[in-house]
Amino acid sequence: MEVVFKSIYKRYGQTTAVHDLNLTIEKGALHFLLGPSGCGKTTTLRMLAGLEQVTEGQLFFNGADVTKKPAVDRGIGMVFQNYALWPHMTVYKNVEYGLKLRKLTSAEIKKRIDDVLDITRLTQYVDRLPGQLSGGQQQRVALARALAIRPNVLLLDEPLSNLDAKLRGEMRDNILRIHKQTGITTLYVTHDQREALSMGTRISVMHAGHLIQTDNPRTLYNFPRTPFIAGFIGETNLIQGKVLARDGEAITVETPVGRFHALHKVEQFPVGAAVSVSMRPEAIAIDWDKKGQGSNYFQLKVEHLTYLGESEQFQLRSPSGQAIKVNFYHAPEHNFREGDTIGCMIAPEDVLVLPPQTEIGPGT
Amino acid sequence: MQTQTADETSASKRRFSDIVGYGTVIATIAMLFFFLVLPVSTIMARAFFNKGEFTFRYFPLLFSNEMLMHSIGNSLMIGVVTTLLATLLSFPLAVINVKWEFPGKGLLMGLLLVPMVMPPFVGAIGLLRFFARRGSVNLALLDLEWIDAPIDWLGPENMFWAVIVLEVLHLYPIMYLNLSASLANVDPSVEEVATTLGVPKWKQLKDIVWPLARPGYFAGAIIVFIWALTDLGTPLLVGYHETIPVQIFNMITDVNENPVGYALVFLVIVMTIAFFLLSKLALGSKKYEMMAKGHVSSARRRANWFSLPLIYLLVGGTVFLALVPHIAVIITAVSNKWFMTILPEQYTFDHFGQVFQTSLSLIGIKNSFIFAGLSTLLDLILGLLIAYVIVRRLIPFPGLLDGLVMIPLALPGIVLAFGYVVTYSDTFLDPLHNPVPLLVIAYAIRRLPYMVRSASAGLQQMSPSLEEASTTFGASRFHTLRKITVPLVTANLIAGALLCFSYAMLDVSDSLILAMKEKFYPMTKAIYVLFLEQGSGELLASALGVIGMAILAACIMGASLLLGKKMGELFRS
Repeated sequence: MEVVFKSIYKRYGQTTAVHDLNLTIEKGALHFLLGPSGCGKTTTLRMLAGLEQVTEGQLFFNGADVTKKPAVDRGIGMVFQNYALWPHMTVYKNVEYGLKLRKLTSAEIKKRIDDVLDITRLTQYVDRLPGQLSGGQQQRVALARALAIRPNVLLLDEPLSNLDAKLRGEMRDNILRIHKQTGITTLYVTHDQREALSMGTRISVMHAGHLIQTDNPRTLYNFPRTPFIAGFIGETNLIQGKVLARDGEAITVETPVGRFHALHKVEQFPVGAAVSVSMRPEAIAIDWDKKGQGSNYFQLKVEHLTYLGESEQFQLRSPSGQAIKVNFYHAPEHNFREGDTIGCMIAPEDVLVLPPQTEIGPGT
Repeated sequence: MQTQTADETSASKRRFSDIVGYGTVIATIAMLFFFLVLPVSTIMARAFFNKGEFTFRYFPLLFSNEMLMHSIGNSLMIGVVTTLLATLLSFPLAVINVKWEFPGKGLLMGLLLVPMVMPPFVGAIGLLRFFARRGSVNLALLDLEWIDAPIDWLGPENMFWAVIVLEVLHLYPIMYLNLSASLANVDPSVEEVATTLGVPKWKQLKDIVWPLARPGYFAGAIIVFIWALTDLGTPLLVGYHETIPVQIFNMITDVNENPVGYALVFLVIVMTIAFFLLSKLALGSKKYEMMAKGHVSSARRRANWFSLPLIYLLVGGTVFLALVPHIAVIITAVSNKWFMTILPEQYTFDHFGQVFQTSLSLIGIKNSFIFAGLSTLLDLILGLLIAYVIVRRLIPFPGLLDGLVMIPLALPGIVLAFGYVVTYSDTFLDPLHNPVPLLVIAYAIRRLPYMVRSASAGLQQMSPSLEEASTTFGASRFHTLRKITVPLVTANLIAGALLCFSYAMLDVSDSLILAMKEKFYPMTKAIYVLFLEQGSGELLASALGVIGMAILAACIMGASLLLGKKMGELFRS
């Protein structure tokens, strides 16, 4: 089922939790909604489920307006963050509950329960109460319960956040496998960018009530649209500056750290515009041999070195006071010490020119 | 699993159950209006209006009547002295409960609660027997030659203290429960910090523990005060007639000729509200958010050879004192030929046999079970729905509904009963013809707070997502309530129901006032009427009282087993 959010707002009194949300979740997709806590992603999910009223805008399922439809009529399967398993019902009863509310023959109900318990590998636990299950098993019951009704849309609200690291990896694979098997349109909400990057094909990033960017993981990482996403997905160095000159895709930015040339495909900024420059710590190269040249060459003072085996982290500072972080993989033997001056370089295609960092708003 | 069609749920069935659900909520509010707001406002209106004209003339009548002024003063004194003495008695008990560990603690602390469920007016019967001019106490003292002539314990000058003793012994558990809960809520680490800073123990209690526990204390204290102020049964049986409740009781019969009754009841309402607000605003308004819940077990001290005897003496002594009146009732009930001796010469169970042969007591037992049962059922339904609406915030300003429902906790039974009589006389609900509907409703309304609190406690512990999960599957709110919510709060509901039932079984003020014909007498009124009878009436009344106590004790034990520590939170305003 295709889900479309059209100019959706959610307000609680004076505060706007979701601001002008436009989003299409394609039929059969495993779509991720990613953002820090309090960004409005759970509110969005709950509006989709019908557990929260939409203040303004429209919500479409396969082209039909369901904005005013109550939760009970939407055919949603939801996995809650705390699983919300009914503690007084066995695994079987938990799964059966949603089916019994539907006009199904008892044979059909039985078959469906067997199917979902099989797909979630819970068959041997049917008679257990939720309290007698491990965290991972509870999670699977929640998933089975949601899947049993063959929902139009499956909603997963931070489904892995209550599991330990090892189980999390296992459950990721489980969810991917089940999604592939069932082909149910799924919206997956998480604050963990690694979870989204590793599992998602399409990821929508929300920040402070605004949906900022929807893309595949690589594009999000390589071409974040705002300084916020650049910093939220992976690490980055953000420097505020001004466009000095531009020539087609080549753009020159003046910053307190130095002058940077960038090759920019995503957005256009006129000469004189305030911008921010994003440079990934691993994209910056270090001038080990002190040649003192190269494209985008700049000099920084070493503040702190952290040796981590496969990589070494350099915490540097420009004469203007800007902190810059560099991650160097397989760093050679060197004798830079704290207080030394070090030369750095970055390729123009690794310099991202983004809108300036402002207070929270559509441009952030 | 390839299809993606969500199956349709039965829409019409769902709409129907939603209507049932919302209808019940509306009925609840209507009920609270007609049987709580309306009677109280009627009294207020009649206290000021005479034949449609606004008047103040009843109040001068009130204040110029010397006996009424005495009654007001006496009742206020009963309230104040009872509250003070109950505090003095229960503070050390609460500290012992929270801070000390000793063998037999569970049993002893449980026994401390028993007096709460022993109706003081039944205890009064026993006390009268023990302290009569020729009663056991005087005879014992004469035997010991400590006194030369019998002391008139219950003479007019001592009646006040007789009432006070019975009230304190009945009400201290409420104070004790509240203080214990408040003290236990104080995170022990805040005291530990003070200890590391070198603050002495007594100063910690005064500067840190007491301010944090204060709101809980006043919540309990105000209940004790109002209950003592407005208790009808005890002064009535002791014969201390110059008190507000007894005066109101006497005025009921000629309420249409003598409007002073309205003014008196109005005064009680004003006093109740005033003291309530005073305790809320001036004394206990600030609530401090505890950063971490107390995990008191780690901070408990083991009693040593020095403190253990003291603790046993204090707790055991209190339990003994509190049970003396009821032990006296039991002895009276099984006594045979008790005359001019300290204890009866012979014992017999005949009186219990007679109880079951006397029509009055049989009617009383039967009626009480029916009335209390019906009112508990009503409480169960209303309490659950109200708690649900409040906790899940289904209406705007749920706090208002919460406040409304909690009023009966502080609203004296005499006020409500009086209000029913004046509001519903000459209507189809007239208690003169058939008091059963009003009695059941009065019982239910007055015990509704326990049910609401009990159900709320359960609902608050339950994650709303358990219900939301059910909603996403297409279940109506009503269906979800039935299948998910109720099973998960069953323990709370049963505990609340047991409390409601037991308090309804031994309700005094509503029963004495509303039940006017013998065939509608509940047990309490039967006890009262038997007690007034000459001959063996007192013995029968005692036996009936013992039966009532046994029923009540069984109910409360069940409730406390189910509720555990949460008992303390039920008796808070």
